[in-house]
Amino acid sequence: MLEMLFTSQFWFDVSKIIIIDLLLSGDNAVVIALACRNLPEAQRRKGIMYGVSGAIGLRVVLTFFAVGLLSLPYLKLVGALLLLWIGIKLILPEEGVHGENSIKAEAHLWGAIKTIIVADFVMSLDNVLGVAAVAKDNVWLLVFGLLVSIPMIAWSSQLVLKLIDRYPLIIYAGGALLGYVAGEMVLGETLVKPLAEAHHYLHWLVPGLSAVFVLLTGLWLAMRKAVVAKAVNLVDERVTISTDNNS
Amino acid sequence: MKILIPVDGSANAQRAVEHVIEYVAVLKEIPQLLLLNVQWNVAGGNVKLFINQKTIDDYYREQGLAALKAARAALESAALPYHYHISVGTPAEAIAQYSVEQGVSQIVMGRQGQGGLQTLLLGSVVNKVLHLASCPVLLVK
Repeated sequence: MLEMLFTSQFWFDVSKIIIIDLLLSGDNAVVIALACRNLPEAQRRKGIMYGVSGAIGLRVVLTFFAVGLLSLPYLKLVGALLLLWIGIKLILPEEGVHGENSIKAEAHLWGAIKTIIVADFVMSLDNVLGVAAVAKDNVWLLVFGLLVSIPMIAWSSQLVLKLIDRYPLIIYAGGALLGYVAGEMVLGETLVKPLAEAHHYLHWLVPGLSAVFVLLTGLWLAMRKAVVAKAVNLVDERVTISTDNNS
Repeated sequence: MKILIPVDGSANAQRAVEHVIEYVAVLKEIPQLLLLNVQWNVAGGNVKLFINQKTIDDYYREQGLAALKAARAALESAALPYHYHISVGTPAEAIAQYSVEQGVSQIVMGRQGQGGLQTLLLGSVVNKVLHLASCPVLLVK
């Protein structure tokens, strides 16, 4: 186990996992904080604690489940396609929908926890798949990926937003990385493996091409959308006299 | 005349507010004062699948009001009328957008917001506002 610490491949994989975790787990923290907002003060902490531990437990199960599934024939190809899609979606700007939705706010503890777990299940799939793809069969990398994603489940996602605002290139790098990983996954498929062994150049050509594919498709779709999300006005109030009751 | 003061709840933003209070005292006519706090749009499309909009808005409102609190108190104790506004988006862009919508004649803001390591790493909202704004921007040290 120790000798792998000295290979550049290992550190390369570690940085890939960190980037994937960083870019794909922000939303979970927000859901946990918001789902517990409507709880009475005393239950809020409990809700957050149960929510976070449930989310972590779920992620551990999902990760090992994903690895198991990916070892089945053909499923690596499906996984690779999903990763391509996740990469493209990352590059696309979000539509600034701001309007009432029909979801009801949960005002009791179990309702809030249910929301957190269901949301985490849906929102961590991309992350789990990405990490499983990078780790391949290396259990240490898998565990590392999980460990890195845990603080991100609990932290605020403001940091990621700020990072992206400052360095917009991160998004494109992330998209390209997911494409690259998808390419690697295709090569790991048992059907393709003999071919990849015979032609060694495929080891950089396929991931490279699929990274470029994600970048170009993402950029092209983003250009077609080309809407800058406007800031939403939320509160607007005039305070006229200082001695007024301030609200 | 309208003066816009973007506020993030930091000490630097507060200095900008205090500067405006002093500055207004020597003017013939009291300008309209606008306070603005911008909340990062942390609840993206995925979050909206699970959390209702009202909860999200309540959260922004709570955070926004908390950030505005000190600035409002200062203006109120100086007996100055003002307008306050919370919007959701990317801070610099939202500040520029609001300044245009309101036809602001000047933006006054702290030289840097929540400072320290984060500013070093992430750069400041100020730089972007200077770039985007179409009116004079006064930076308060």
